Amino acid sequence: MKRFLIFSIAMVVVATGTALGHSLLVRADSPMTETQIQRIRENCVEAQSTLYQLHASDALLRVNRGQLYETMSTKLMEPFDSRLTLNSYDASGLVTVAADYDAKLTEFRVDYQQYEEAMSRTLAINCTNQPVAFYDSVADTRSKRTKVHDATLVLHQLIGDYKDAFEKFAKDFKETDK
Amino acid sequence: MSEEQLVTDASSLSPWQRHRFVVLIGLTIVISIFLVGVALALYASSGAAQLDLSRPGYTSVRDKAVRSDTFEGFSASGSVDKGTLDDFRKLYADQAEKATNFDSFGGDVMSDKTLSIDAPTK
Repeated sequence: MKRFLIFSIAMVVVATGTALGHSLLVRADSPMTETQIQRIRENCVEAQSTLYQLHASDALLRVNRGQLYETMSTKLMEPFDSRLTLNSYDASGLVTVAADYDAKLTEFRVDYQQYEEAMSRTLAINCTNQPVAFYDSVADTRSKRTKVHDATLVLHQLIGDYKDAFEKFAKDFKETDK
Repeated sequence: MSEEQLVTDASSLSPWQRHRFVVLIGLTIVISIFLVGVALALYASSGAAQLDLSRPGYTSVRDKAVRSDTFEGFSASGSVDKGTLDDFRKLYADQAEKATNFDSFGGDVMSDKTLSIDAPTK
């Protein structure tokens, strides 16, 4: 019983120490001086204006790019896979890539939604009164935008992968057709 | 029916019978508000809001959105032969080029330096 008590206390001390240490390390990573806070306060209105424009241009990008990404799946990959299956060809390689593509497309939609919500929160902050909150919110929005960008890169990669899988199928088709 | 008779009939009605029209209107308004709330929650949570360029703030880009997709795509029915594969190859290459020719959401546009909110250099 005594041993258990000592062990429990030791665990609580270690956990508290870890949590405190982590928060101190996080703070140490991003120390913000009064000069920087002042600089944010002075420039944030202009920064918010830039972010407003970015918000609008990204929305347009989401609509136009999203439409193209959807088209790749619904008007090309899916019909082609269906056609091969209907004609009793083995389309498993293509279907796998198409499924990965659809999953990534869903991720892209979710990532963009989270990014847009973060951006709206950033734009709603009164940055002159809350410069630190504004700075943190910009950092959060930036990381979410990076996630959207990464998702688009994977989508581009999968578009290339599907093309490779198609060429492999076409090669096999040509050989069996001889 | 005389006016006196009407007054007598009205006084014999229960409070519910006397106010049911007002209650009906009230309930209609409450149900409408609830349904509008549900619709707005769905609009916000489904991601439709992010695609809605009619929202305030998007005036400058509204006209640049591609309104209709004229691309018909590839037919899911029919035989598979060399011609089919060639057709698909061409359609796919064209569309893939459009989808991947641009580095979306990239760049350094949100960096502290670009927004002038970075730590001042000494």
